[in-house]
Amino acid sequence: MGTQVWPLMRFLIKGSVAGGAIYLVYDQELLGPSDESEAALRKAEEIVPPAMYQFGQYVCQQTGLQMLQLPEPPKLNFPVRESWNSGIITVMLALSMAPIKPCEYSKEGWEYLKEHAK
Amino acid sequence: MSETDLGRKWDRCMADAVVKLGTGFGLGIVFSLTFFKRRMWPIAFGTGMGLGMAYSNCQNDFQAPYLLHGKYVKEQ
Repeated sequence: MGTQVWPLMRFLIKGSVAGGAIYLVYDQELLGPSDESEAALRKAEEIVPPAMYQFGQYVCQQTGLQMLQLPEPPKLNFPVRESWNSGIITVMLALSMAPIKPCEYSKEGWEYLKEHAK
Repeated sequence: MSETDLGRKWDRCMADAVVKLGTGFGLGIVFSLTFFKRRMWPIAFGTGMGLGMAYSNCQNDFQAPYLLHGKYVKEQ
């Protein structure tokens, strides 16, 4: 009787774990439109770090270990995204002006030579 | 499309890709452990599905520039 029940129990446990995972994905709309995924990611960003910290505190309390305090990372005030964007825009602008600028410079040079040749 | 709209769309695409990849990977792991005897193919299949869904969403988002993204508020 026990040998017959255990495979059934195992199948039911595995089925409930897999079904629970599918239900969680369906309920949180993780595989839906991009708006819902973005909202789910933001929710996770708010919930996960404090939960991890509290879990670490709980483990430290139970085991008596002390959590390592890492020094704060240096704060960089350098706006990487804006510099990158403005760099791309400057390069593209220069490339778009590339055919026109030599004409202008050669015209100016010619005018300069004409004035000096008089 | 203005630069801020384009930036917002890219941000949404990246967030969507991360969530869908992670979900596909997670579901693949669950099914691999429960029903498929720890084989690799359910994980690869799930990850690929998630990536494909994210790519499809991004493509629709960029090709429909006049579609507004709003929230549906249920009546209380």
